[in-house]
Amino acid sequence: MDRRTFLKIVGMGSVSMAVGCSPDPYNAPRPEKNLFSLIHAPEDMVVGRTSWYATTCRECPAGCGILAGNREGRLIKVEGNPLHPVNRGKLCMRGQAALQGVYNPDRLRSPYLKSDGGWRAITFAEAEGMLLEKTAQAAGSGDNRVRMVTEVIGDTLLQLCTETLTQYKSAPPLVFEPLGYESLKSANEIVFGVRGLPSYRMQQADLLIAFGADFLDTWLSPVEYARKFMQMHALDGGGKGRFFFVSPYQTLTGANADLWLDCRPGSEAVVALGLLREILKLGRPTGLSRKLRYQLGNTASAYDKATVSKLTGISVQDFERLTEALRRAGRPLVLGAGLGNGSSNSLQTDVAVNLLNLILDPDLSLFDFEQRHRVEVAASLFDVKETFRKFAEDPPALLLLNNVNPVYAVAGGGEIEKAISNPATYTVAFNSFMDETSVLADLIFPVRHFLETWDEYSGKQVPVSTLQPAMGRLTDSPTLGDLLLKTVDGNKRSAEGYKGHLVGRMLSRADINGELDWLKAVQQGGIHQLPEPKRYKGRAGGPAAEKIEELFSTLAEPHASGLTLAAVPTVRFFDGRGANRPWLCEIPDPITRVAWQTPVMMHPDTLKQQGLKHGESVQVKTDRGNLEAPVYLTHSVRPGMLVMGIGQGHTAYGRYAEGQGTNPLRLLPAETDPRTGGPHFVTGGVQVAKTGRKAKLANTDGSRSQHGRKIALTVGLDSLADLTKKKKSGLTMSDFPLVLPLPEGYDPKLDFYTPHQHEGYRWAMAVDMDRCIGCGACAAGCYAENNIGIVGDKQVMQGREMAWLSVERYEDPDDARQLVFLPLMCQHCDNAPCESVCPVYAPHHNKEGMNNQIYNRCIGTRFCSQNCPYKVRRFNWFSWRWPEPLELQLNPNVTVRSKGVMEKCSFCVQRIKQAHGLAKDEDRSIRDGEIVPACVQTCPTEALAFGNLMDPGSKVRKLAEDPRAYQIMGYLNTKPAVFYLKKVIQKV
Amino acid sequence: MEVLITLITLAALTLGLLILARKYRVSLSQNKAAFFWTLVLVALTIGSLYLIYTPPGTRMGPEQPIPFSHQLHVGVKSIQCQFCHPYVDSSIHPGLPPVEKCLYCHNYIIAKHPQILKEHRYFNTKTPTPWVKANYLAEHVVFNHQRHIKKEIECQQCHGAIETMDRVKGRYFYMEFCIQCHREKKANLGCWLACHS
Repeated sequence: MDRRTFLKIVGMGSVSMAVGCSPDPYNAPRPEKNLFSLIHAPEDMVVGRTSWYATTCRECPAGCGILAGNREGRLIKVEGNPLHPVNRGKLCMRGQAALQGVYNPDRLRSPYLKSDGGWRAITFAEAEGMLLEKTAQAAGSGDNRVRMVTEVIGDTLLQLCTETLTQYKSAPPLVFEPLGYESLKSANEIVFGVRGLPSYRMQQADLLIAFGADFLDTWLSPVEYARKFMQMHALDGGGKGRFFFVSPYQTLTGANADLWLDCRPGSEAVVALGLLREILKLGRPTGLSRKLRYQLGNTASAYDKATVSKLTGISVQDFERLTEALRRAGRPLVLGAGLGNGSSNSLQTDVAVNLLNLILDPDLSLFDFEQRHRVEVAASLFDVKETFRKFAEDPPALLLLNNVNPVYAVAGGGEIEKAISNPATYTVAFNSFMDETSVLADLIFPVRHFLETWDEYSGKQVPVSTLQPAMGRLTDSPTLGDLLLKTVDGNKRSAEGYKGHLVGRMLSRADINGELDWLKAVQQGGIHQLPEPKRYKGRAGGPAAEKIEELFSTLAEPHASGLTLAAVPTVRFFDGRGANRPWLCEIPDPITRVAWQTPVMMHPDTLKQQGLKHGESVQVKTDRGNLEAPVYLTHSVRPGMLVMGIGQGHTAYGRYAEGQGTNPLRLLPAETDPRTGGPHFVTGGVQVAKTGRKAKLANTDGSRSQHGRKIALTVGLDSLADLTKKKKSGLTMSDFPLVLPLPEGYDPKLDFYTPHQHEGYRWAMAVDMDRCIGCGACAAGCYAENNIGIVGDKQVMQGREMAWLSVERYEDPDDARQLVFLPLMCQHCDNAPCESVCPVYAPHHNKEGMNNQIYNRCIGTRFCSQNCPYKVRRFNWFSWRWPEPLELQLNPNVTVRSKGVMEKCSFCVQRIKQAHGLAKDEDRSIRDGEIVPACVQTCPTEALAFGNLMDPGSKVRKLAEDPRAYQIMGYLNTKPAVFYLKKVIQKV
Repeated sequence: MEVLITLITLAALTLGLLILARKYRVSLSQNKAAFFWTLVLVALTIGSLYLIYTPPGTRMGPEQPIPFSHQLHVGVKSIQCQFCHPYVDSSIHPGLPPVEKCLYCHNYIIAKHPQILKEHRYFNTKTPTPWVKANYLAEHVVFNHQRHIKKEIECQQCHGAIETMDRVKGRYFYMEFCIQCHREKKANLGCWLACHS
């Protein structure tokens, strides 16, 4: 380099330095900002305060009641509606993520018309005109020319669809739901004579046996059953209900069982028949006809302990433990096959289970046939496929698809794809996203999101659950109801708009009497008084014996050898509709702790046998196709099983879904079950082949083991009494006391710093690990409340995820099948290791005991994170972006952190401040239970509690004094303000 | 006003120079050029200092879409602050008046004024008025108006003599400003519990 060049570079360098550094950041010119005034001030909007609107969640067919929080016209949070009988104020992570549906950056803002192979945006008026014209044309061309396939919708809208189609001399709409419970419905029809889905009074049971029914993940109504399960299974008066899970793989539900019996895939029915045999042997009165009883006895007699053990792979001892528990149980409830167990024997399993219930309790007092789950209106997959197959022979002129994605969700749905893309059929997809189905349509017509509409949807039959717009409209899209009414001839219309139609129908059905009732219903999110429960009056003598005999004679052999693949719906993505919500992708799977990806779960024995390693990329092949996925070693599946979650691997559905993970449905057989018409989610004849590539897993768990560090502790039910006896005093890993983070916990021999003085309050949290099911709803609530950044899979792999609260999963060192879930957030220690190492005092201990992170003070040394034994501090490696309009969801009470700043759980300080304000207004102190952090608010099983530790009567103080309470790594003398209650393991 | 001050200063400077010249017996006629240039230099210095530090409009806030005068509405007409900023004692934000509220009065008072007609246009076309923000606070701080009003802190204590301002000047509130008062009044000094979150 010559002198001139050197000087040039130096010169340029100094100039760019000078330009880059503003001399005085405080007085640097700022871009001008605007404050926009409203035209009219709505009565219920106070700037700076959240208004809550009661509505109903439509993220899955369960129909939980929600309160949608609106701040200055935009929705910032959804929470459960405490008045709603389904979910009682709680919500799952998919419900929390409903906001990311309404604000999804890939949501279509206008209709799209297919022209010359591409898409052209058109206006809503144009699209409406085209729709009316096409319907008129189609209706004029003959009978049954307009067809409709819809997701499960409320009765009012479904009736309106039917009426509209009848006007066009066409058949009623086909209700499609990928998880349609065909087997359970058929079994209920056979045994109870009810082709429907009764709900269960699970909370009243003392023994629960599930043959794969994953009621804590996705089955029927997960939030409701999580609550009921915990009522039944929580420690109460020294004892707890028992729960057995019979399935070849665990899922979240099985991970919460007292005993998981890992039967061979397809052998659940054998276990159920074995149980039938044992129960019949007792000779109790059954209420069954003699013939049926005789015949059942005959069928079941073949399944003695040894045979069951041989066929299912369950040890004789385990099976005996199951039968013994059932024999002793006072109010047992047996649940059938899960969605993922849709194997060839699922109908037999469900029928055997129903018979078991009928024999154990002829009154079926734990069944509620009045409150049936709405999803029962869905057609069977066979009917859906058949309908589409017929479209190929006789294509309708117009096909309307309402928010369904069968092209993705149906295994081997070639006929569906063909029918939709058939040029003879004009297909209109009422869908807000370009998904696999709508890209094949001729016109994509976005309709309003459920948080923007008036409607009614009852997840169960009797109570009315209303929907109301909780915010202004983000797009000009109309509601489906309004559109349908428009297609009807003016003088035949029941009302001008769908809202009028809805109110009219509710009046005519006497759900409401007049305006006041309507307003009350809207305010409370529906009419929630449940009718008096009726007793079950079944068929005398039970079902026909011949039918049962015939059914069990066709019991297929369980998959005994070779590899079997199960595709299971997950708590995160349900049937795949959650895959475009970044929170759901970012929050890792409860069992694998892998985010963004779809690993294939395998038992270590399978890995050994196949010569594979954890984290290796593997090719999974069936005769339907193949896919590549990372291997995940786990003890939560039985040897020979390959388990993959459904929901990812979309080829279209927006930026968060496309190309993330893989879709195991591609590997499943296209045939439906001949008896039930349901899909197969399990298939045999699977081959795996090495690819030689190493996959990088986007997992957030450091380790599955605690390495003896006393993080997530358990206690045996029988040794509960010992907990109170021992007084611990040492500071070793095996012997450490619980020290309250209060001045009374100060010990001059141990503590270097003087105690913190608190003024009135010392906030603390208690986590009952025995109640925690690991569902991750708390984490989603935290993401929503605290503006936590989404980092994506690449950054998760680098360990840069931002979750303030993560539900850690640990394997029991003695039994790797036993998982313990531990919601971990900042422990707000009294002796906080983070505080003492920060060179700029950014972590600050406040008067109420909390550890504050002062963002603008933080210079990003990351010393605090290094010194934190709980590893709950998160560093912003980048300024995370919220693609428009996702930023509208951000909570204005919480700072959006930027690059170079450390952050962590704040105990939802914004809510604490709010409570302080309210208490000051009313000149009182804050009441116990008044402050509810986002995680505590949403927990379906009430595992979390928050309150003032200085108040001796507070819930959190009482929990801290529980003999099960301990502090994580208490031997470090950090004196955390989060108390964990040991999980109670009961031997069954 | 500013121009007057400038002229007086310049005159005083000239006079001062003349007095100095007489005192040191410097002939004005012999050093005409030097005097002229000295004067020009001094004038330029003062002029540029003035332009840098107190340009016209420094004491005024940003130009607003409608030249609303707080001096007239608060000072002369004595309208209560809460009439237009209704949530000040019940929420963290005081709130801005909706366009509708302006027209409660201005449908009758100077109804045909061109600026009021502009207001009508905002109303008729449902356009939110794009007022320009004058007061700034760091985004990691939540200031709660309600709490301060409940403690009977006058609006003017932070916002200045609003009743004398035509175009509100506003300010950038720094931590120093808040903390001084919080110290004097023995108010909450906890980082999170008081301001940050």
